[in-house]
Amino acid sequence: MPFLGEVFSSDIIRQPVLDPKGEELGRVKDLAIVKGDPFPMVSALIIERKKRLFHLPWLDLNIFNKKIISSKVYKESLQAYDFREDDLLVVRDILDKQIIDANGAKVVRVNDIKLEGYNDNAALVAVDVGMRGILRRLGIERGSEEFLGIFNTSLRYNLISWNYIQPLRPKLGAITLTVPRQMLSEIHPADIADMISQVSREEGTHLFKDLDIETAAEALSELKPEMQADILNAMDTEKAADIIEEMPPDEAADILSDLPAEKAQEILSNIEKEEAEDIQELLGHEEDTAGGIMTNVYISFPPDITIQEAMERFRIEAKEVENVFYIYILDKDEKLIGVTSLREMILAQPDCIFADIMETNLKTVSPGEDEMEVAAIISKYNLLALPVVDENGYMHGIVTVDDIIDMLLPPSAKRKLRKV
Amino acid sequence: MNRWKRLLIFFSVMGPGIITANIDNDASGITTYSVAGARFGYSLLWTLVPTTVALVVIQEMIARMGVVTGKGLSDLIRENYGIKAAFFMMLGLLVANFGNTVANLAGWAASMEILGLSKYIMVPTGALAIWILVTKGSYRFVEKILLFACLLYFGYVISGFMAKPDWVPVFKSTLMPNLKWDSEYIMLSIAIIGTTITPWMQFYLQSSIAEKGIKKENYAASRLDVIIGCSITDIVSFFIIVTCGALLFPHGIRINEASEAAMALKPLAGEGAYLLFAVCLANASLLGAIIVPLATAYYICEAMGWEAGVNKSFSEAPQFMVIYTLTIMLASFVILIPGAPLVFLMVLSAVINGLLLPFVLVYAIFLVNNKQLMGEFVNSRSYNYISWGTVVAIIALTSLLVLATLIPSLSL
Repeated sequence: MPFLGEVFSSDIIRQPVLDPKGEELGRVKDLAIVKGDPFPMVSALIIERKKRLFHLPWLDLNIFNKKIISSKVYKESLQAYDFREDDLLVVRDILDKQIIDANGAKVVRVNDIKLEGYNDNAALVAVDVGMRGILRRLGIERGSEEFLGIFNTSLRYNLISWNYIQPLRPKLGAITLTVPRQMLSEIHPADIADMISQVSREEGTHLFKDLDIETAAEALSELKPEMQADILNAMDTEKAADIIEEMPPDEAADILSDLPAEKAQEILSNIEKEEAEDIQELLGHEEDTAGGIMTNVYISFPPDITIQEAMERFRIEAKEVENVFYIYILDKDEKLIGVTSLREMILAQPDCIFADIMETNLKTVSPGEDEMEVAAIISKYNLLALPVVDENGYMHGIVTVDDIIDMLLPPSAKRKLRKV
Repeated sequence: MNRWKRLLIFFSVMGPGIITANIDNDASGITTYSVAGARFGYSLLWTLVPTTVALVVIQEMIARMGVVTGKGLSDLIRENYGIKAAFFMMLGLLVANFGNTVANLAGWAASMEILGLSKYIMVPTGALAIWILVTKGSYRFVEKILLFACLLYFGYVISGFMAKPDWVPVFKSTLMPNLKWDSEYIMLSIAIIGTTITPWMQFYLQSSIAEKGIKKENYAASRLDVIIGCSITDIVSFFIIVTCGALLFPHGIRINEASEAAMALKPLAGEGAYLLFAVCLANASLLGAIIVPLATAYYICEAMGWEAGVNKSFSEAPQFMVIYTLTIMLASFVILIPGAPLVFLMVLSAVINGLLLPFVLVYAIFLVNNKQLMGEFVNSRSYNYISWGTVVAIIALTSLLVLATLIPSLSL
């Protein structure tokens, strides 16, 4: 297992490579890479010794990290190397190249390349396009950090995940992104989450600090539970509370339930009372039951108001609600008596009342129902949301399709396929 | 291909070379030529011939690189020689071009003063006008202004004729080298080359050609554009020297500034020549002050991989806007603050230009010979002799200039 952890290409280039006896074999000149899944992998080191180049395959390496690179072979068994056009080399073909977005606009340059251990290989996970990369290449990253520390500011990480980079071909003039330029600054929160889960924990937390509350909330809910807890733990309580407040109550409750009880309580006490109560209520349910995954924010109207009046109320209320495609009809006692869809409501005559158009044959689940069962019902009836109703007919919330979609996907589809 | 079509192609790719060459005659260039004419009459005219040849040799290579690779020189240096080379080159360019901007705004201030307008009003106004023109104006509008400003250079040609020189000695001294072992004479002849072949021009030319997207098939027209442009530069220089040589030299008037030339012309050649000289200096200075900061900001951002563009906001392209705005702002301040180290800045800028030039030229010549980049368009062996010879000569002369600037007592 030669490589664990993470390293930047600039830490590796020009480093000495040692043989098993500790003699210098040469210095790293370049890294040859091959396609891999999900990321391109380093296949060999190109090392330079007395102006001659040699090819050192990855499998012949013993240790590979930013401090020590050592091989299992001696200089006698090194193979000479000639630069070939169709090889893909990190320094020659990727470093310093212009990155061009999907619309052909020049965007940024590759200042550095980040490698990370992946199944015993060194995978190219991201390109550094930020100031940090420039300073690192100039050898003054640490110094600049300390200097900026005096003013209580820090350098931002600015990495582009390999996911956004089009397949590389040998001898390219520039590197092309799969996304247009605007998206680079407005990457979808789900993609940000993806990027964060690929960089190290420390950097993930760092990346998160720079996001605005709204984006952070969306990105956070896309992350794996352990990652969510880590990031919130590292954040100061106030900012964490702001982010939690921005999230739908069900997701907020999910995340808080993974945090240490003390921290969760601290965050809750910083949240507006009404929101906090909603979350508190959801926290009372078992995690993998309908009650645990439901949200208690949904659209509901009494049966006797006109469609016209309902539409006006809808315009105001729907702003705060995640899933607006079903309108639930509740009687005076908050008991669920019917449901109608947004489509039905729009198509209905404005002077109708809900009692005329609602569907009364309801599919519901009880709060204690297993989440797999909930998923099965949603899948069977092709629903976008399923009401959660207790034995007395009171409505507690809804489980929306996006809460259970992960359960419906076969495991293989969850792992996104990435291109080299 | 019929002749008209050929002409059409020429006009469509024409521009970068001619505009570049004109901007080359900025405030410091005009100063050098005026001083040379007033001090030595026509006897330095011959230096313009080798200067033009050298300029054509260098700029032809640069233009060829722009056409073939479609990339700017700063891009190529970054991509082929790494970030350190690019970084230090851009740092040097930033300092040198700050000096150039100061020189141009100083030229603007001086020409306004002799026209009777206070520099305390005209420098901020000019600086603000430039800034607004570039950041808020449309590209087409800016281009029209630039082309019009280039036409104004012909004012110097007119003034040359107005000076009614005796043309026989003029042409004789242009074609017959005239060496004098006089330190001032030698320094001025080197200064003429130094002010004509500058580092930033090479970046400017290659970028504007790359941006115009000229095709390899049309390279011949582009080469013609460069040759014509270089000739125009030196024709303008020629007429400046002729004007000063014909009018100031016989009276033994010594000058140190282009604006002094205009003042000195007033009693000798009348209101017309004086006004023409002053307006042309103002025009050239302002043109330089528009292009130099803008170009600097562009190359630095492209080499370092920062967002660049004049119509971007400060938050979209922070480095670009900061470099561009600060260069103009600080340069204006330096001119307006009484007792600011103007001379020191000019010397610093000249020295850094001189230090930068060898690197730029050597990188350029290595790049143009890189088969992977240039394919069949690399220099031929015989052209390499010419270009290396030229580069070595220029480097030797500018090093001499730098040395003499740094150690005045060394002056030959």
